Amino acid sequence: MLDLPPRAVIVEPVVIDGLDEPEYQPDPIDQVGLLLVRTAGGDRDAFSQLYDIMASRILGLIVRILIDRAQSEEVLQEVFLEAWQSASRFAPNKGRGRTWLLTIAHRRAVDRVRASQSASDRDLRIGRRNLGVDYDVVAEHVELRIEAEQVGSALAELSDAQRETLTLAYFGGYSQSEIATLTGAPLGTVKTRMRDGLARLRDRLGVST
Amino acid sequence: MNRQEFLELSAGHALHALSPADEQLFTEAMAAHPEWAGDIRADRETAALLGSAVPSVTPSAELRGRILDQIGRGSGATAPAEAPTPRPSMARRGWFALAASLVVLLVLAGVGALFASQIAGPPTSSTALAQIQRQPDADSATEKVAGGGTATVHWSDTLGKAVLVSDGMARIPSGKVFELWYVRDGTPTAAGTFTTTDGKATAPLRGSMHLGDTIAVTVEPHGGSPTGAPTTRPIVAIPTS
Repeated sequence: MLDLPPRAVIVEPVVIDGLDEPEYQPDPIDQVGLLLVRTAGGDRDAFSQLYDIMASRILGLIVRILIDRAQSEEVLQEVFLEAWQSASRFAPNKGRGRTWLLTIAHRRAVDRVRASQSASDRDLRIGRRNLGVDYDVVAEHVELRIEAEQVGSALAELSDAQRETLTLAYFGGYSQSEIATLTGAPLGTVKTRMRDGLARLRDRLGVST
Repeated sequence: MNRQEFLELSAGHALHALSPADEQLFTEAMAAHPEWAGDIRADRETAALLGSAVPSVTPSAELRGRILDQIGRGSGATAPAEAPTPRPSMARRGWFALAASLVVLLVLAGVGALFASQIAGPPTSSTALAQIQRQPDADSATEKVAGGGTATVHWSDTLGKAVLVSDGMARIPSGKVFELWYVRDGTPTAAGTFTTTDGKATAPLRGSMHLGDTIAVTVEPHGGSPTGAPTTRPIVAIPTS
């Protein structure tokens, strides 16, 4: 029973007097994660910094999925209220703060697009624009641009079918069965393409398990 | 389920593209195979990289003020949320969205009240443990206790409940009890007292657990710490994440 692996979070005589540093050990470069941890403690300054750092990036993702600007801002508001409510659920040892926020934003945007736009509307909408992501226009921050280029070139290495499946799911908000209907591929094929495509991206982008 | 089958679910989950039935399968598989947690994390991280590669869009200036205004009216991140008040000027659709989130908050409050009523007539420790262990997200962690023995915390984030099970703990001096604490961001909150029989105890924690809390045990006077804060160093501290 005691043969447990050493835990990432060591709490040896704990922080109970409130004077010591908190016991978690966040990645020092995960600024967003640090702000989330402070937000969980009710720190409104940290929360407003979080907004300033992340709001335009998150709105970019929501707008990509929803298109409609007014609806997108409503969803952005929901995302930040959820972040305020549930920041204590963010576990610094289980991923980056940015991932946590973007995951919430993506889920809420997808829920909204499914609730407010029929699949055929989205079909038309996504049909009108390029299925791929236009990476040339990503430019504000160097870091962001490099990252976008990496994602763009990693996407380019996928098969067309894999790229289409990932794009329809992530940016179109389509479920696996909707993608099967749209592309005429069997559901099992869609699932395999999604798995293999994401695995390839993950390797290519150096995301470790 | 083999790993390749699981990776199909994990990828679909990371992209929010699973059917409700597959989402359920994913949740069950995740609980049954903690060794695949790294795959889930990596898929989620990869999906977020797709998201962060999209061009930024600057929100309208008044949105920042509106959001900060809303959180300013709450009483803190961990307190029950005050539902945002719909503004008359908001579009109809916005009003419905807020109304919908209000319903969610009320439902959550109802669930909380349900748990509160369940523990009002305190459940036996074994039913609390069984209730946790029935959850797909049931988890546990074990640490050594200073002075001997081990303590295991079992929890379910969905339920927000935790139970501490001890084995081989040293006998407590008479007039003293073990007191349980949630330590959240360095602040301890009392979660009830317990005693052991032959070093063993099964002690449900009072109040609600948040994932990431550290569960600590101190030795306190009979009836628990008179100040509501620990008066001794903890004999064990177990992180829940």
